Amino acid sequence: MTNKILYVLGALAMVLLARDIYVIARLPGEVEQGAIFKIIFFHVPVAITAMTAAAVALVASILFLVTRNFRYDALAVSVTEVGLAFLAANLVTGSIWGRVIWGIWWTWDARLTSALVCWLLYASYLMLRKAIDEPTQRATFAAVWSIFSFIDVPIVIFSIKWWRTQHPQPVFWGGGSFPADWGRIFAWNMLAVVLVGVVMTMVRLRQEDAQRELDSLRRTAHAI
Amino acid sequence: MQLHSLPLLLAQYSADDIARETARLERNFQFLSYGLIAAWLILVIYVLMMVARERKLKREIASLRAMLEDRQKI
Repeated sequence: MTNKILYVLGALAMVLLARDIYVIARLPGEVEQGAIFKIIFFHVPVAITAMTAAAVALVASILFLVTRNFRYDALAVSVTEVGLAFLAANLVTGSIWGRVIWGIWWTWDARLTSALVCWLLYASYLMLRKAIDEPTQRATFAAVWSIFSFIDVPIVIFSIKWWRTQHPQPVFWGGGSFPADWGRIFAWNMLAVVLVGVVMTMVRLRQEDAQRELDSLRRTAHAI
Repeated sequence: MQLHSLPLLLAQYSADDIARETARLERNFQFLSYGLIAAWLILVIYVLMMVARERKLKREIASLRAMLEDRQKI
């Protein structure tokens, strides 16, 4: 049943993405920035997906510490790994946009720096898990680290409001103007990207189940 | 005075201006392609890593199960 849902969601995400890429490719360039502006249709959805993944990881980590149920630990690691891939895509697309518009690949302004720190924090979460063998200790330390790492997420989101940054103000909820039909295309692409993230997380979660089964088989093999 | 005719409008610009603008638009589009390719490449590489991990897990589970069945027979 889960496999069927996974395939249906995956197929739906692929169809939506293909359609969105076709529609976005046919859009005219923005007046000031030209074609490169269209990178926003991917740059923002991958960022929102990554930040949502961080929020889910926070909730799962808290739930693990409260209940000691390893299902929540599995969810936290799965969603963090997927979020990290999306955040990497966000940093790279932003850097390429910056090269064209600003003439530089990178600047140490509050938004870019906090996003990079966020990526490093969640990468260190995965490294921490690799370093600890005992499952309960690993899950506990990782949950605490995940909660600590989340402190950076509001800083990433609100940095453009709190400080004067080179990164532009938000187009959607910061007084920017975006044509209504472009907004619809953006919403569809947002849905497609989130679906890709959900499918990836479900696959990764299944792998965590398989890993637990493997650990249990290993213990049985040692006991015999 | 407003110039509505395209030839008159183009006459305001030199060949260098037009070449520069064409180059800017081409570069713009080229970087958009780089951006999209890089973003999707990261996600595709991650998916390939997940596929490899899944295969490895399945292989290890199958071999351990086979080993445990053999031991139980003995």
